[in-house]
Amino acid sequence: MSSTTTEAAPETLPGKTWTSTGKNNITATDALRVVILVTSALVALVPIVWLVLGSFKTPTELSARPPLLLPESWGISNYTDALTRFDFTTYLFNSTVVTIAATVLTLAINSMAAYALAKYNFRGKNGLFLLTLATIMIPLQVILIPVYQVVASLGMVNTLWGLIIPAAATPTGVFILRQYMLSIPDELIEAARVDGSGEFRTFIQIVLPMCRPALAVVAILSIMWRWNDFLWPLVVAQSETVYTLPVALARFTAEETVPFNLIIAMSVVSILPVIILFLFFQRQIVTGIANTGIK
Amino acid sequence: MTAVQTAPPRKRKSSLKMGLVPYLFLLPNMAIFGLFTIWPAINGFNISMYSSSNGRTFRWEGAGNYQSILTDADFWGIVRNTAIYAFAFVLLSVVIGVILAVLVDQQRRGRTFFRSVFFIPVLISPVVVGLVWNWMLERQGGLVNTFLGWFGIPEIPWLVDNNLATIAVIAVGVWMQVGFYMLILLAGLQSIDPSVYEAARVDGANRWRQFISLTFPLLQPSILVVVVLATIHGFQAFDYIYTLTGGGPVGATTLIVQYIYENGFVSPIRYGMASAGSVLLFCAIFALTIINWMVGRKREAA
Repeated sequence: MSSTTTEAAPETLPGKTWTSTGKNNITATDALRVVILVTSALVALVPIVWLVLGSFKTPTELSARPPLLLPESWGISNYTDALTRFDFTTYLFNSTVVTIAATVLTLAINSMAAYALAKYNFRGKNGLFLLTLATIMIPLQVILIPVYQVVASLGMVNTLWGLIIPAAATPTGVFILRQYMLSIPDELIEAARVDGSGEFRTFIQIVLPMCRPALAVVAILSIMWRWNDFLWPLVVAQSETVYTLPVALARFTAEETVPFNLIIAMSVVSILPVIILFLFFQRQIVTGIANTGIK
Repeated sequence: MTAVQTAPPRKRKSSLKMGLVPYLFLLPNMAIFGLFTIWPAINGFNISMYSSSNGRTFRWEGAGNYQSILTDADFWGIVRNTAIYAFAFVLLSVVIGVILAVLVDQQRRGRTFFRSVFFIPVLISPVVVGLVWNWMLERQGGLVNTFLGWFGIPEIPWLVDNNLATIAVIAVGVWMQVGFYMLILLAGLQSIDPSVYEAARVDGANRWRQFISLTFPLLQPSILVVVVLATIHGFQAFDYIYTLTGGGPVGATTLIVQYIYENGFVSPIRYGMASAGSVLLFCAIFALTIINWMVGRKREAA
């Protein structure tokens, strides 16, 4: 994917032990490394594969002892049952709406804030930027009760808005976008101004299109966060009509109200979108995370 | 609190002074931010002075909540669980993260593949992570015990025994997050100038020496970031534990966030305990973050 396999040349030094890609030159260390890597990869993947295999198994197959490796047939009845017999379509819909709306809102307000912090001089600028950064240290878990109080007093408990709005102003998004916007030359903005373009129009038509890579990173991160969110939806979505997928999965498992084979199928549904997104946008995600160190 | 490469604000040729404009750009973000993060963060201290059994009517307690929580044996049990969890989680995350990052970095063939595979658990909904591992760790016929059975190891009561459940919760936590830390460390490794190794090789240093005297010190900034983030994550752990053990057996894996959640939202509601617990958690995270940075700085300077 990236430029990782480019240089193999400088390895022809005499006392080389560091890496060996040369012919017949596989040292014991190399072999050991591959063994450890492959074992670790299996540990990382087996639970996921096991889940996917399980989603095709019938309840009888699932209760077999010792467990069966493969299902007898690859029928998708667990999926269709879960979607028709229970309200999983509602939860799927809620999760999708919350994820998309929250991401759009995050992109809009974060990019505007980032633009102000990157390209204007004004009183209180550094203070506001530092304040934004500092709150990365205040996770939701710590302010759960007081945030809930705010949301309750606004009447947003048991609404999708209550899931969408509070998490939208991510400090991470502001940070990533600001860093990116710093690299946009001021001359471009000045030129637009001279041409008589209004401030907001300059932002929409000149600045935002140039920020596409950074916007993509923020969008992907936001989708991952919102889709997998659990504690906040658990608290705000108290009635079944506003459950998101993770809340429904956790609640139904705890209450044992939905058969386990259907839970497994819905679990697969809930991990698929993010994995697909990752496979498509690997490079952006990896560099985005490596550069900011934020999940 | 990040691998901040804060470039100093560049000097602009013409200062763009537009009066209200920048404030208007900031307004939507700051309004939401202020209402749902900053105000609650301040108000949290205030709320912790009140008690409530329904979240609507409040009674002034002063420092009473802190008095009752600090003399509550259950709470200290939870503090103990959380401390053990966080410590083990941070330690294992750093050690395994560094090992994986170094191995992936040295691997030529399939480097991107391994990097992606290790990262996949990070992407998965924590609720599902708990579900899957709960299923795999079942005592009878769970995948893990079946596998161990091939080597003649008798069935292990993973989620039934207190200590084993603690180990399971820590292990699953590391399984879920370590790929993320590996990614940060890998970026750190790849930013090390290869020529320093060249010199070491000419001097005849073996790989282990190279790791100890070059890689490890040069990787310190990334390790510091990982320690800080893992500490925060360790104290936040809740979602996957909820579906893995539900905090059991008999509270052995109940951590502070679950304590806050249950006191705040599951009857019998004890709001005062929940808010006082939150404030204490905030203080713990804050103090540990500062300590981590100071220790890290000192190491870097040394």
